[in-house]
Amino acid sequence: MTTRLFGEPVQRREDPRLITGRGRYLDDLGAGALAAAFVRSPHAHARILDVDVSDALDVDGLVAIYTWEDLPGALAEPLPLLIPHPALTHGRTAYPLAREIVRHVGEPVVMVVARDRYLAEDACALIRVGYEVLKPVVGLEEAAGGAHLVHDDVPGNIGAHLVQEVPGPGGETAREAVDAAPHRLEFRLDVERSACTPLEGKGVYARWDADDASLRVYSSTQTSTSVRMAIAAKLGLPLPKVEVVAPDVGGGFGVKIVHPWPEEILVPWAARLLNRELKWTEDRREHFVSSSHERGQVQHVRVGFDDDGRLLGLEVEILHDHGAYTPYGIIVPIITSTQLLGPYKVGAYRVEFSSVYTNTVQVTPYRGAGRPQGVFCMERTMDKIAAYLGRDRTEVRAANFVQPDEFPYDQGLTFQDGRPLIYDSGDYPEALRMLKELIGWDSFPEEKARAAAEGRRIGIGVGCYVEGTGVGPYEGGHVQITSDGRVHVSTGLTSQGQGHETVFAQIAATELGVPIERVSVVTGDTRRFGYAVGTFASRAAVMSGNAIALACRKVREKALRIAAEALEADPRDLEITDGMVHVAGAPSASIPLATVAVLSNPLRYAFDEEAKRATQFAGPASDDRPPVAEGEEPGLEGRDYYSPVRSTFAAGMHAAIVETDPDTAEIRILRYAVVHDCGRLINPMIVEGQIHGGVAQGVGGALYEKMVYDEHGQLLNASFMDFLMPYATEIPRIETAHLETPSPLNPLGIKGAGEAGVIPVSAVLAAAIEDAEGIPIDRMPISPSDLHTLRRSR
Amino acid sequence: MDFLRPRTWAEALDLKAARPEATPIQGGTDVMVEINLDKGRPAALLDLTPIPELREWSREGDVIRLGAGVTYSRLIGELEARLPGLAQASRTVGSPQIRNRGTVAGNLGAASPAGDSHPPLLACDAVVEAESVRGARLIPIGEFYTGVKRNALAPDELIRAVRVPVARGPQYFSKIGTRNAMVIAVCSFSIALHAAERRVGTGVGSAAPTPRRAVAAEEFAAARLDWRGRSPLDPDVAGRFGELVAGAAAPIDDVRGRAAYRTHALAVLARRALGWAWADFRAGTGADSSAGSGGGDDRGSQ
Repeated sequence: MTTRLFGEPVQRREDPRLITGRGRYLDDLGAGALAAAFVRSPHAHARILDVDVSDALDVDGLVAIYTWEDLPGALAEPLPLLIPHPALTHGRTAYPLAREIVRHVGEPVVMVVARDRYLAEDACALIRVGYEVLKPVVGLEEAAGGAHLVHDDVPGNIGAHLVQEVPGPGGETAREAVDAAPHRLEFRLDVERSACTPLEGKGVYARWDADDASLRVYSSTQTSTSVRMAIAAKLGLPLPKVEVVAPDVGGGFGVKIVHPWPEEILVPWAARLLNRELKWTEDRREHFVSSSHERGQVQHVRVGFDDDGRLLGLEVEILHDHGAYTPYGIIVPIITSTQLLGPYKVGAYRVEFSSVYTNTVQVTPYRGAGRPQGVFCMERTMDKIAAYLGRDRTEVRAANFVQPDEFPYDQGLTFQDGRPLIYDSGDYPEALRMLKELIGWDSFPEEKARAAAEGRRIGIGVGCYVEGTGVGPYEGGHVQITSDGRVHVSTGLTSQGQGHETVFAQIAATELGVPIERVSVVTGDTRRFGYAVGTFASRAAVMSGNAIALACRKVREKALRIAAEALEADPRDLEITDGMVHVAGAPSASIPLATVAVLSNPLRYAFDEEAKRATQFAGPASDDRPPVAEGEEPGLEGRDYYSPVRSTFAAGMHAAIVETDPDTAEIRILRYAVVHDCGRLINPMIVEGQIHGGVAQGVGGALYEKMVYDEHGQLLNASFMDFLMPYATEIPRIETAHLETPSPLNPLGIKGAGEAGVIPVSAVLAAAIEDAEGIPIDRMPISPSDLHTLRRSR
Repeated sequence: MDFLRPRTWAEALDLKAARPEATPIQGGTDVMVEINLDKGRPAALLDLTPIPELREWSREGDVIRLGAGVTYSRLIGELEARLPGLAQASRTVGSPQIRNRGTVAGNLGAASPAGDSHPPLLACDAVVEAESVRGARLIPIGEFYTGVKRNALAPDELIRAVRVPVARGPQYFSKIGTRNAMVIAVCSFSIALHAAERRVGTGVGSAAPTPRRAVAAEEFAAARLDWRGRSPLDPDVAGRFGELVAGAAAPIDDVRGRAAYRTHALAVLARRALGWAWADFRAGTGADSSAGSGGGDDRGSQ
């Protein structure tokens, strides 16, 4: 029997620690450290006239106060623009501490260091910053109007402008195709801002070791390796003298992939300067006004189609709000404009976006990263076509699906990774069939009629998406079997609660044939693995999962080679079961992996029983060969990398039944069904957990969450009192079915699953509410108050 | 910021007289939120949690005297039968953790128009028992709310207790939030049928600068309900009642909802609440006259 854990619903191994208070989050570390706090701009747009710290100097326990003028060298430069793009002609990033101008409420202006956070906050309150208030630019269309500028040197507030075009089958442009189509529709859609809002905000804790001239930094980040490189570069330190560790991280959802945050370089810098441990933990209000938001877009759609609802041409113009700065480039609108296509063949396609500056918090990817907006656009389009033609909404979708025999399918666009948008595999008709069965699509009209007879309004909606997952360029894995028989797995990307300690252990245990209890997994610690990209874009399982599998295969091969020599057998006849290498069919001829680990190292002091036992296998060393043969290494370990040609493409389809209250306009989700295809499943329970979390976040985005800015650029709901995350009381039971179309692109055949749950929820709920109400729903999120307004305006 | 911690009620009154700018704190569910959000920093906090008698309630004739330190959780657990409207409202306050800390008196002290206990207190004709070194006085609830987050307390006064008449008929509280739980009301409504007097009490929350009664609606319903025959509620009466309640409101647009929605929703809440209360009255169920002589303790403390 082999140890087969891949594909099993193994319980999450990290949960006992995380749910019994034994997790070690950023603020659990550094109890004796000095504390940093920040004076942040109260204005959306202003010129800094002066900073008066005289009163703050009286605070007992104050250690230091820094403004932009104090920052040396590279630290005084604008923060890096992480992902440049030729279309981003006017990329702008902030300074770590504001220089002359502040461009959103919450921008850091002064850093204060004190004995504890209370004193640091007291000192902040006593610092007086003089401002000349400038005209704020708030609202997408106001910004695009260009009457006032966020950056003086960015005309019209346009940071980026990009057009992508794919001609139709006859070479026609999208404009021509739409104009010539038998039917045409034109409409506008709006999606409001939301944000990741992880329960743990950001945080940084730095320790400078003066004797060793080295720096250790803990950061609540999604990418410790890149934070490390940024710190080394900004502080002028040799890379080997900087270590960055991501401890337990209480959620990221995208906001913590941005790096370096101002605090991630300022805190280490001050820790070194002061030669004292220093920590900063973000509070909730800081997170609302000084991290990142996403989602805000206005879309103008023109579509042409035939009598069957088949798309002939699609033109989409997107106005994308990227806030005050563009540290993460234009990834979000690029994803919107490419992933908008979903599982469909759209004929001729033209998409154009303008990404504009506003005096609001910057926009960077939030779980889904532009896809929820794209899917909202395409799925609303499908529903409008069905309504126009009087056809079933699923029929119109099916008429446009890429078919199973058409993979790999080239959409003719350039994706977020700069590579062609080519779908690797999928079975969309089967997914739709499964979904219709799961939700009871065909019998819903009777259900609706029965409800109507009781005076109840119910409606059904469906939404489909395709998600590029597992983007490169690479991840690596390191696997070591030590002489106690334990397996130590490490990978450089980080964890924010996804279950990496479980799924990576499942992969290693399966590949190596060891019990999972013997496998331990470390992520996000640059002391263990230096090269990594990070956890985002639903890539951890695909990238690190495959890298770890490949590293395991190297280790396995070496283990079999050594064991074969010891057992005087052919390696091809050997198997590993429960940590024992044995001849297939002859379990008595065996050797434990622990012993193989001892044999792998010619230096063999008998520290433990395994080493003593190994002597029985030790062959006579040949006098004319080096103890470590050429091309060999001591130890039983392996390292490998996985670098894909291009992304995998996961897919899914959701359906929901909602009920709306005819009087109060309250919206209740009665049922929510998901068909999900992320290739081969490593752990179905974890995938379902990811889907549940994603759907919950999607329900938040569809019905509850928005960022309400007033005309002065003040965020009016910057607290969990009025930024409404959904609770268990808002989330229905989620019914899930899995479809597995393996990816041909990687050894494990897997695709990513992290973002999937959130992507189509706004589209699905809009469709269901529209079905219940008979009112077009073109703007999300929608609250009972909004629905009431729509009813009244009919 | 000074933190004042009296051991006795008398000491608390002395401290409040000496430091009238001190903000009293009991559960902290309002005060600490304001401080955390930097909406002003009080010069001093007057911590009332050590004073044992504030945590007691007692029955005095037809009235429950609810000490200023009795939490929502205890009110729900110990007084639901006698103060059903207030208990229902208490159930909608925050989370269990918040209900374990928060108090009705704290709601009164903060006097937010969105406070959940205000509508039932208005509907039940509660009386606020205020005290200072100068003596005690009783403030009828209708005179208590003087403006947005302002009340009738003098600077040196503290709330000692709230006197709420034991229910003599069905009572309901209904609230619309922006989410199903842990939210500030978009609008709220409470009704109390004072059956013996053939009178209807109302309270409207989150729909005007202060919590308020809908007097025209009360008078209309009292006159139109068939108290003696207990005949079914005329839908037109219920609808008109809702309109009159909505007419008493003066809501605003804010992040939680639009004024027009608040007005509309209030009419719906009022219509429904009257329907539930009247159905109970007709069936002789709900908290009614039997509660006066019914079982249960006559006092509680913690």
